[in-house]
Amino acid sequence: MTAAAEGVFFLCAVLAVLSALGTVSLHSPIRAAMSLLTHILALSGLFLVLHAQLLAALQVLVYAGAVVVLFVFVIMMIGPAVPEPPVHRGFLIKVLSVGVMLLVTTVLMMSVLPVTLPTLSLGPCAPGAGAECAQFGGVAAFAQSLFMDALVPFELISVLLTVAIVGAIAVARGRTSEEAQVAEQKRNAADKALEERTLREKAMAAEVSAHGGH
Amino acid sequence: MQIEVGDYLALASIVFGIGAIGFLVRRNVLVQLMSIELMLNSVNLMLIAFNRYMPANHAGQLFAFFVIAVAAAEAAVGLAIVISLYRLRKTVHSDRADSLRH
Amino acid sequence: MHDPKLLLGIVLFPLLGAIVNGLFGRNASRQTVHFVAVASVAMSFAIAVVMFRELLLQHAAGEEHVSLSYTAYQWFSLTLRGRPLGIPVRFVMDALSGVMTLVVTGIGLLIHIYSTGYMSEEPSYARFFSYLNLFTASMLILVLGSSLPVMFVGWEGVGVCSYLLIGFWFENGAYAAAGRKAFVANRIGDFGVLMGMFLLASASGSFEFADINHFAHEHAAVLTSALSLGPTGSPYLVISSVSLATVATLFLFLGCTGKSAQIPLFVWLPDAMAGPTPVSALIHAATMVTSGIYLVCRLSPVFVLAPHTMAVIAVTGAVTALVAASVGLVQNDIKKILAYSTVSQLGFMFAAVGCGAFAAGFMHVYTHAFFKACLFLGAGSVMHAVGAHGDADTRTLGGLRKFMPHTRWTFLVSCMAIAGFPFFSGFFSKDEILVGALASSEYFTFAPWLGPTIFGMLFVGATMTAFYMFRLYFRTFSGEYRGGPHHEHHGDEHGHHDDHAEHHDPHESPVAMTSALIVLGIGAIFAGYVWVGLAHFEPWVLWLEPVLGTTHIEPAHNLSYVAAGFGLTACLFGWGTAYAWYFKGSETPARLAASFPRVHALLMAKWRIDELYDATILAGSRMLGVVASKFDMYVVDGLLTDLTSNCLKLSSYLFTRVQNGLVHAYGAVMAVGLLAVGAFFVVPHARPAVVGKPDGLTVSFEASRGLAYEYRWDFDGDGKYDTEWDFSPGAKHTFTKAELQRGYVAVLEGAGYGARAEHLRLSPGDKRELCEQDLGPSWQSADDSTLPIIAADGTGIVVQPNGARVRRVRKDGQDGQAQAPSAKVHVGRGEHVTIGDARLSVTGLVRPRLLVRNAFGLSRTRLLKLMLPEVEERVHAAVVSQLDPLGKLGKEGAGQ
Repeated sequence: MTAAAEGVFFLCAVLAVLSALGTVSLHSPIRAAMSLLTHILALSGLFLVLHAQLLAALQVLVYAGAVVVLFVFVIMMIGPAVPEPPVHRGFLIKVLSVGVMLLVTTVLMMSVLPVTLPTLSLGPCAPGAGAECAQFGGVAAFAQSLFMDALVPFELISVLLTVAIVGAIAVARGRTSEEAQVAEQKRNAADKALEERTLREKAMAAEVSAHGGH
Repeated sequence: MQIEVGDYLALASIVFGIGAIGFLVRRNVLVQLMSIELMLNSVNLMLIAFNRYMPANHAGQLFAFFVIAVAAAEAAVGLAIVISLYRLRKTVHSDRADSLRH
Repeated sequence: MHDPKLLLGIVLFPLLGAIVNGLFGRNASRQTVHFVAVASVAMSFAIAVVMFRELLLQHAAGEEHVSLSYTAYQWFSLTLRGRPLGIPVRFVMDALSGVMTLVVTGIGLLIHIYSTGYMSEEPSYARFFSYLNLFTASMLILVLGSSLPVMFVGWEGVGVCSYLLIGFWFENGAYAAAGRKAFVANRIGDFGVLMGMFLLASASGSFEFADINHFAHEHAAVLTSALSLGPTGSPYLVISSVSLATVATLFLFLGCTGKSAQIPLFVWLPDAMAGPTPVSALIHAATMVTSGIYLVCRLSPVFVLAPHTMAVIAVTGAVTALVAASVGLVQNDIKKILAYSTVSQLGFMFAAVGCGAFAAGFMHVYTHAFFKACLFLGAGSVMHAVGAHGDADTRTLGGLRKFMPHTRWTFLVSCMAIAGFPFFSGFFSKDEILVGALASSEYFTFAPWLGPTIFGMLFVGATMTAFYMFRLYFRTFSGEYRGGPHHEHHGDEHGHHDDHAEHHDPHESPVAMTSALIVLGIGAIFAGYVWVGLAHFEPWVLWLEPVLGTTHIEPAHNLSYVAAGFGLTACLFGWGTAYAWYFKGSETPARLAASFPRVHALLMAKWRIDELYDATILAGSRMLGVVASKFDMYVVDGLLTDLTSNCLKLSSYLFTRVQNGLVHAYGAVMAVGLLAVGAFFVVPHARPAVVGKPDGLTVSFEASRGLAYEYRWDFDGDGKYDTEWDFSPGAKHTFTKAELQRGYVAVLEGAGYGARAEHLRLSPGDKRELCEQDLGPSWQSADDSTLPIIAADGTGIVVQPNGARVRRVRKDGQDGQAQAPSAKVHVGRGEHVTIGDARLSVTGLVRPRLLVRNAFGLSRTRLLKLMLPEVEERVHAAVVSQLDPLGKLGKEGAGQ
């Protein structure tokens, strides 16, 4: 591992932790989204250090280019956050869960930090190796693995994405205001009928108990 | 100083913890979704780091690839739900989505 | 030769009649109903006569054990101590059950005929005849059943029918209560029958009467030996003074007191007069109540083995006879008098069988059936005539001889029979009972005064019997008619008696009723002669002797003259008093009652037995009920119910608080779960085990697998690991003798009753004395104080035999040379010795240790316990032989 790679690692690591903290702590959603974008870019830098060139590119394309844009789009659509009255419910649980999570994180970090594995060199193709030389993490090698080892999951993922798109449209479309009005009226009528029936049954029960059962 | 796999794992753990705490603490559904993205990303980092040190095949990277795809789908559906919630309650506060409690 | 299959017909015809009438009788005409009912019993009677003729022919051919049997089918099979024990539904007609069958079907037939007249205006005509037929069928199952369980079906059947028939007019609460009372009293007795049944079956290995009686003849010692309450053959809980026969027969007798209305369970019979009169005649006089006597006679070979039970029976019978007769003296209701008379006569019968005079007691059953049925039917005829219903006060009757001559003559004849006038049937049987009582003083060796005492009591009872029967007769039939009961009281209760109220003069009953009376009356006179020569008892005894048990006591010849003299005196004295007081008309009874008001009141109130039971048993039960209900209220409801409901409330409160609808709260719970799952994966979980059976000293181990687990083994448990870190979970190791030297276990397999293999961990210097249970049956000590002792030293066990026989067991499993009885024997690892019948093996003990670590670097130690070489446990042959102390099961099993 070269010194440059070490430098990239430390830079990206610090950036990733800071931007992650920013994502969860910044008050404004749009700033949080920007912080998330930074985090994703930092991670893609780490991916490069780890010889995952294709995934680094995908990370930028999919996350930065699609997901974060989607987030920003939604935030813009909803508009500036309405100031909510501060809620104190569940404060104890909040503290508790943060404590537990900190504990879990610390234990996890301390137990994985000493793990070492031999570093195998994954240099570029030797000069004159020809077209069949596929670099680890490169497009050719990755595609070979993807379409040889994981073809079925890959096809299934396409189904999943289709379902997700259909579901997202179905959920987000909502009802038109006319449809909502009709549904509201129907619900009110049903509530009223139920209330009337309960009253009637109560009256009947009172009458029965007043006349000794028979 | 040599960078070991443990360093990557520790970094991933920290990011995962930050994401988890963010999910537990923040009430804004959008930020909670972003916290989930953080956790998914930390797992991706872990997978790819392991794959770097066990490069016999691309299993880790393949897994990370699928995680990215699933995360994209999850983000799409999650944001659709946020829009739906906003339309219903005029808020993106997760505490207000408590109809099932009653 | 007729097919014994016909025996089935005797039972099935009445059953069929009951089913037909019960299911279809509702809409059938009265003619159809009583045709079905009478015809079914008539068929049954006809078959009984045919089969009985078969028995007589066998008897004439010189056969001693006359019997016919037919096995209908196998009811169920049990296993008693490893032997199959089948209970077939088998019907047997022998001398005893033959006579009983004739009585049941014959008198049953007459009562059916009589009922067609008596019940002619009853709305529930078909129901009545259905019950009556069902009763007859049950009684026949009781009589003909060849085994205790089959008999018990009939026994319960008659109980149920009795309940149904006593409460026949169940609209009247008092009558329904009388039915319940009868049922409950009978149930108490039935418990006794069940207990007796199982005790006898467990001792004799069979439920069949014939087998039990045979067993009582052949293995009397088993039944009369001291009773053990523990498992069979165990030396614990032995009651030396009580034999199994005594306990079993006492339980059976409890059942008899219920069914046959003896003290203390007789209270139901007088109340049972609530039923229609023909029912009283059939059930509560002629048949069902005698089933107790029948059972005692049936199992008489067992009963004679228990003289204490016989004494109890005799005393109970005599006391019942006396008490019931004394109550009968002062009663005024015609059916009450007859009811107490029945109780009293049953007392006579029990006194007879208790004294060992089974034939005499059973003959009284036979003669009593005729005259008591006749008396009851006569009473019914009287009530029918005067329009009384349920009860008829004799004070309102009188002079009926003019109106109903048939009834009067048959009633008179029966009175004379029951009073014991010479040459009437009752005379013979009562005489024999008195003879039996006199002769029994030789049987009751522990109380020679018992026989004469019982004789005296029975003599007084007989005198009273004659008196109250003629009192009843004179008050009912002689003098002037006193106007009958007050109709307005009875008419309104049951509509069908309204039309009787129009008759002011009594009238003779219809032919259906009088014909039955006449037949029974003739029987009351001549029934005795069928089996007995003129004043000669022998044929009856000859006929029944093979069936009945015997006390081996021959009554002296002159005793029968003494008894006859006393019997005659009793009869004449009773008759004379009744004649003087009630026929002539005298103030003496009133004066007597006035001068002894307390005695009179006590007798009128039937010795206040019902009140006594009310105050003791019923009050006790009520108290128990109150306690139970309070317990229910405060402990069950208060503590348990409220406590659980409060726990539920508390937990529901807590869970409600958890379900607060906050997403991050649910997330927190998830985080806790994550922590738990993570902790599980961080700590290694590997469990070592031995694979298969050790091959000598070579053992295969395997540990359970996990994520990147590595294993190290320390096979001999010395603290030093024998293998390096290895990813493979399996391991194999051959132990050396030296590795086994670390510890040892002595395995002691006892041979006595209930002994099991015991693992003894003895440190050097520890000692243990073996007990008799370890050593088994073959061990005999010179004196009780010395028992073998085993002690541990560093290398094995040292046995100090102290007189026990110690043998080394060779490699091939055979017993080796016996050691000298005083020499100490050292048993090393892998060696076996027998001490008496017990086996002692010493085996090495090693504790292999497994160290396991996972990818996180955490490690854990697990221990295993291993005994080498393995000890093979052997079959406890000695324990099996203990279950059968007399070896009788094996012997009988071989004989079959």
